[in-house]
Amino acid sequence: METFWNTIAAYNAATWPAQLVLTAIGVLLTTLLVKRPSRGVRIAMKLYMAALNFWIAGVYFLVYCEPRQYHSPQALFWAIMGCIWLYDLAVKHASLERTGHHTTFARVLFAMPFLYPLCSLALGRTFPEITSPVMPCSVAVFTIGVMLAFSERINIVLAMFLCHWALIGLSKVYFFGIPEDYLMACSIVPALYLFFREYIQAHEGKATKPSVRVLNSLLVILCLIIGGFFLFTLLHQLDLFAEI
Amino acid sequence: MKTRHELTEILDFIAEYATYLLGSGVHTSRAIRNSQRIGQSLGVDVQLSSFQRSTILTVRDDESGEAITRVVRIPSLPISFERNSDLSALSWDALDDHLPLAEIRRRYDELTAKPLIDPIFVLLTVGLANASFCRLFGGDWTAMAIVFTSTLVGYAAKQRMQAHGVNHFLIFIISAFMASLCASVALRFDCTAETALATSVLYLVPGVPLINGVIDIVEGHILIGCSRLINALLLIICIAIGLAATLLMVKDSLL
Repeated sequence: METFWNTIAAYNAATWPAQLVLTAIGVLLTTLLVKRPSRGVRIAMKLYMAALNFWIAGVYFLVYCEPRQYHSPQALFWAIMGCIWLYDLAVKHASLERTGHHTTFARVLFAMPFLYPLCSLALGRTFPEITSPVMPCSVAVFTIGVMLAFSERINIVLAMFLCHWALIGLSKVYFFGIPEDYLMACSIVPALYLFFREYIQAHEGKATKPSVRVLNSLLVILCLIIGGFFLFTLLHQLDLFAEI
Repeated sequence: MKTRHELTEILDFIAEYATYLLGSGVHTSRAIRNSQRIGQSLGVDVQLSSFQRSTILTVRDDESGEAITRVVRIPSLPISFERNSDLSALSWDALDDHLPLAEIRRRYDELTAKPLIDPIFVLLTVGLANASFCRLFGGDWTAMAIVFTSTLVGYAAKQRMQAHGVNHFLIFIISAFMASLCASVALRFDCTAETALATSVLYLVPGVPLINGVIDIVEGHILIGCSRLINALLLIICIAIGLAATLLMVKDSLL
């Protein structure tokens, strides 16, 4: 636990100017994608997403999280996600055009990376020992926002990676007592539901087995189970606080 | 007595039918029995010899004694037990009701045009099945949840790579690596991490080729049985390579 916050402090203290630049580029590209979407902006956004993932893999995990156990598999995990964005760019899978769907939810997700440090401050932590906008969970939430707001065809592999990361976040809340990760867990359940529902709706005209209704029901049950896990973790966390 | 054209038509249909069965996970003797049953219903004798990638088929008219032989490639199809069962039932219908070739063909087209199971449904159920495996091998709830999402990642990647026509040995290595890499996160938590790691790749085990290989050998189709077992063994080696890469990375050893 102490190692966890020490590595975060070292990372923030050394990279805050770079984090500011990365955040500013993210805000700029997201605004351009909303206001003036063009081919160049879309390509730039995909490159930015890839660079952001490689940053988390290389700078955050490989350099600053070195004292943590098992940091290299996590670095590779994020590097693979970076590669998926590059692959996406090469094969032109997701267009990154405005879908007009879930705009409000996507806006909430875009705001999340800024909520992370505020949450840390509200919990009584001080800089540099706080969660920041360019950290794995903030980037994961931002990625979900980008996929929801701008992707007509969801990259299902990327969505599954993010789902896995959210589960890790939930486990971190349960085992290590890091409540900031609730933000990630809170956003992934509805996002996953929306990803899959859109996929199912896109195939509504086609003859599928099982039927669209059964698929939707299964999806709702699955999200309820994940939500149940979330609630259990929340209650466990409250119990932890009560003990403290 | 059948004309050469009629005999060719029968041969073409039975070749398509038999290779469809062989390509979608039916063991050799069942494919032969079903094909011979259809041949019997149409008044011809069917002899079939199958290899891993192709089938040699001879159709002989019982009355005239004329025979035609064709070598047909076996297509790679998704395994579907429901379809296999439907096609077996079709061969019985053909024999019992003395169906003409046109009617058998119509029913065959109808059966093969049925929708396949939705990939997303398969993805979710494979994830649940693998999480259940984790539980069966003594995994706790945290390990099960990790195996579930790890399987989702590995299987989604497998589906995408299959859609892009990537070599299937490579697909198995990458999928096994991705699933086990994701499952390796269990090592950070107080849970049954070893079970999570070991069971995260079980969804890739080639059960159907293994079972069919054994059945083929037992029933005397030694060559295709061995081919199937060798193919299954190669896939298992690919799974081992993927898992070993993760183990070497996270634990610096294979054990």
